[in-house]
Amino acid sequence: MKSWKRWSFIALFLIILTAIAGPFLFGTDPENPMAPPFSKPVWLDRDAPLTRILELTEGETTKTFKSKGDPPKQFRLKGRIRFEGTPVKATLVWRTPREEILLEDLSRYSDILIDLDGRDITFKLNIGLSAFDNAMDKLMPAEGEYSLYIESDVPVASAELTATLEGGRWGVLGTDQRGRNVLYLFVMGIRVSLIVGISATLIASMIGLSMGLLSGYAGGFTDSVIMRSVDVLLSIPILPILMALAGIWGKGLWQLVLILSLFSWMGTARTVRSLTLTLRDACFIENLRALGAGTPYILARHLLPETLPLLLANIALGVPGAILAEAGISFLGLSDPRVISWGRMLHEAHSFGAFTTGAWWLLLPPGLGIAFLCLIFLDIGKFLEEMVDPRLKGGNDK
Amino acid sequence: MKNYWIKRIASAFLVLGVVLILNFLLFRMMPGDPVSSIIDPRFSPEAKEQLRKIYGLDLSLSRQFILYAKQMITFRFGISFLTQRPIWEELSSRIPNTVALLGSALILSAIIGTLLGIKAALNRGTVIEKIVLWGGAVSFSFPSFFVQLILLMCFGYLFPIFPLRGTISIPPPTGAMAAVADYIWHMSLPVISLVLLGFGGWALYVRNLMVKVLGEDFILMAKAKGLPSHNIIWGHAFRTILPPVITIFLLALPGIVSGAVITETVFSLHGVGRFLLESVTGHDYPAAGAAFYLLALLTIMSNLIADLAYGFVDPRVRFERRGKR
Repeated sequence: MKSWKRWSFIALFLIILTAIAGPFLFGTDPENPMAPPFSKPVWLDRDAPLTRILELTEGETTKTFKSKGDPPKQFRLKGRIRFEGTPVKATLVWRTPREEILLEDLSRYSDILIDLDGRDITFKLNIGLSAFDNAMDKLMPAEGEYSLYIESDVPVASAELTATLEGGRWGVLGTDQRGRNVLYLFVMGIRVSLIVGISATLIASMIGLSMGLLSGYAGGFTDSVIMRSVDVLLSIPILPILMALAGIWGKGLWQLVLILSLFSWMGTARTVRSLTLTLRDACFIENLRALGAGTPYILARHLLPETLPLLLANIALGVPGAILAEAGISFLGLSDPRVISWGRMLHEAHSFGAFTTGAWWLLLPPGLGIAFLCLIFLDIGKFLEEMVDPRLKGGNDK
Repeated sequence: MKNYWIKRIASAFLVLGVVLILNFLLFRMMPGDPVSSIIDPRFSPEAKEQLRKIYGLDLSLSRQFILYAKQMITFRFGISFLTQRPIWEELSSRIPNTVALLGSALILSAIIGTLLGIKAALNRGTVIEKIVLWGGAVSFSFPSFFVQLILLMCFGYLFPIFPLRGTISIPPPTGAMAAVADYIWHMSLPVISLVLLGFGGWALYVRNLMVKVLGEDFILMAKAKGLPSHNIIWGHAFRTILPPVITIFLLALPGIVSGAVITETVFSLHGVGRFLLESVTGHDYPAAGAAFYLLALLTIMSNLIADLAYGFVDPRVRFERRGKR
């Protein structure tokens, strides 16, 4: 079918795939700090040194890498080493192309915690520098091969070491104020937008559908009560209510979905009602009534299917509103801080000074992500609308 | 005509009533009662009782509501939990800022949007129409705060033309002229951002209506009569689409007021919206309620004004036979 080749369907499919595959691609917890805060993306500012992270995990005792270009600016080493027994002589060594530097003497400890920082005066004195020297000049003097390794007379039971050579550039999209991987956060943010956007709109459409059917078919007092409440709800600014509710009810994701759907069913109700009004007096409905069909039967079997195509377009067109509302509430800081969402990322970028550091890579990905997702749903909605009502295609509109 | 006005005013009061009830219930729905958030568990039962009495919580719910409604209508909002100052004092200094922000943004985006929309409808397939279509797409899909953040970053940080935050400089400038200029300088970026976000949807709507109207027979008739084109556009076509334009204005209004909360937060403006956010995050419920009430009141009042304007421009209303929508 040609229609499924429309770009928005393909894009939506890819996005959903990314959202599902995201956690498996990265492996770690997105909350883990990966690199120093506010690291730039690697493709930006090519002359700046890269941030390099060396990890000695279970079983490894050596890590080697080649350094090119400018040396990183800072050195940090953190972790824990355990030996199978107590070593008489054991050392943690950093080998540069010029010399071997003893970082820490591990002798006579079977279990030791390591926490070294290149800016620490004791550390500088230990590796044979004065307190005012720059440790990086000694630790990374030139281009060439470097390695970090453990030497001991008893086998190493486990070594978990992380050496961070801070250069200012890291990852595809850099890091945020807590050193988290922005690309990972971005991928994780897709889910919240999709889940909240789609489920809130679905629930709202269900409410709108039943309200619209009820008020259109029943008419009279029920109709005027429902329509009056629609009018009233449409003339109250909703965001303040959502804010208050989010503040009172708690900040969970599903509370947010519920709150959003409670205040966004009005449009659907109006559309469904007007359709029901035109159908109510149609001949086939009248015939059904003459045959003795009950109201529930007519509503469920004949009116509901008639409204479904329209409803589908309505849902797709309603999703952007819900996505934007969720993003707005998260941006105001009223969402669950443990849930990563695009709005939350923007909130943190705003409140932790992405401006004063010029960290635009914290702003663009979530913002453009929201906009792109909304455009996709608008396009799908437009497409569905054209399917329902072919007059919309071409003609007046481009 | 008179009938229509009475109906509109009555409906404004209905909305006001619903807002009051919603506001009243909203802040009674939270876990525990309103006092529990300021009562220390170590207080003696007598002290708790005393506090409940001070806040009028020993009365029945309906009595409480009547009292509450009376206070809201007379703008006696009580004391803020957070600052221990009268809420009205806090709010009254913020109202002009919010009204100025929203008013200027609305008027500007309405004017720009209408002009562009008409231009786009007259020149199909030109650059202007593309701008309108794209502007519309932006205003429907880009989060407002994102656009504002980007603007703030560009013109507040990278090219510091506008201030990063606040409504007045610190220390405030001396002299009336300098103060006004400073105020305008601070408000211009928020207003520009709102106009940038708002004009697109507006223009798109006006364009679609205009395109439809320009295809009607009476426009052809006017052209055949040899009327000058500005007369056709403004006197015939635009005059016809004015009622639906006002309707869309009515529907957009609550969203615009909602946008104020976000705008004021992004630009750290001294406005009602940011006060609401601060009160909600600080669990200062009386203040939050008052701020929400004021925002709702603002919406209702502008709604009423637009409704009355509708009455003037729609001949069906003027002649007392308003069709059911």
